[in-house]
Amino acid sequence: MAIEIPGKRWGKRLQHSKVFGHGGHGKKQIYADLLITPLVDMFVIIVLFLIANFSATGEVLMMTRDVQLPEAFNSTEIEMAPVVMVSNTDIIVSGNAIGRVEDLTRDEYLNIPALEEKLRQMKKQYEDLHALAKDTEGSFKGDVNIQANKDVQFKVMKRILYSCATAGYSNINFAVLQKGGDTAAAPSTATGSP
Amino acid sequence: MAGGMDLGTGGKGGKKPLDVSINLVPFIDLMAVTIAFLIMTAVWTQIGRLQVANSGQSAEPASPTEDKTPPIALLITEKELRLSAGTQNFDPIPVTRGANNKIELEKLRDKFKELKSQLPDASAITLQAEDGIRYEDLVRIIDECKGDGLPNVSVAAAMG
Repeated sequence: MAIEIPGKRWGKRLQHSKVFGHGGHGKKQIYADLLITPLVDMFVIIVLFLIANFSATGEVLMMTRDVQLPEAFNSTEIEMAPVVMVSNTDIIVSGNAIGRVEDLTRDEYLNIPALEEKLRQMKKQYEDLHALAKDTEGSFKGDVNIQANKDVQFKVMKRILYSCATAGYSNINFAVLQKGGDTAAAPSTATGSP
Repeated sequence: MAGGMDLGTGGKGGKKPLDVSINLVPFIDLMAVTIAFLIMTAVWTQIGRLQVANSGQSAEPASPTEDKTPPIALLITEKELRLSAGTQNFDPIPVTRGANNKIELEKLRDKFKELKSQLPDASAITLQAEDGIRYEDLVRIIDECKGDGLPNVSVAAAMG
């Protein structure tokens, strides 16, 4: 007769039950297969959506909360050029504050000397750089992008237009939010004479 | 196996299965990298431009047909819009605003249609804005002009 260790001993039926890992339909597998198909489908949709939103021109304008652009349906694609940012409070050219809008509305002059000076300086920089590189094709075209808040008054805008034109930036572009999906078929022109 | 495909062949003997399972791991890797790149370079706001040239100078050379058409001007005040073509003055359009305080331009569109029926070759217009005009209103009127067949828009300050 076999010697048994003293203690609890379960009955035969209980010993062979699921509680002690017996019975049922065998052991469950530890490894579970991931469903790859919906994952790949999702990836494909995301990639297609992002490709549709892709723009090769990059970020021309820095969007800020202070400057809300007006909307337009018949606009063309924006290009790289110096940016004059006009918010309700400040005028900023390529990251440098030029003046306060409040001061400009008080003055009765037509030009903004600080803006003119800054733009002339940038024009000279551009021309010097291209002259050093002996780049004859990239001549100065006088393009400037004006990124103005939609609530800015024309009193301020006409002074900015005049200053840009005086500094040699004759091709002025108003930055707008494109609406309606399609851009204008042919580039259209507007002339400013403040 | 060549090309990273698992044909599921164990040994030498037996029939080779026809079903081929493609290894999706490199495909998913490629997708993940592409998604990361596209998210970084995505442009969420489509920004356009309305081109403006120097005062009294158009970016496009004036064609001979433009000389025959009388100069078209639109005076923009805070209360009304006055359209004129040479000596002909159209009825002033009172400024009305709709939702979000946006200027309504349906009547101006009708005037432009009337003008284009009289002067089909006209392509240039001068906008004379008063000091108090909002930039958004000016841009919307420029946009309307371009959309209604007057692509060469000049912007000037209103006299007086």
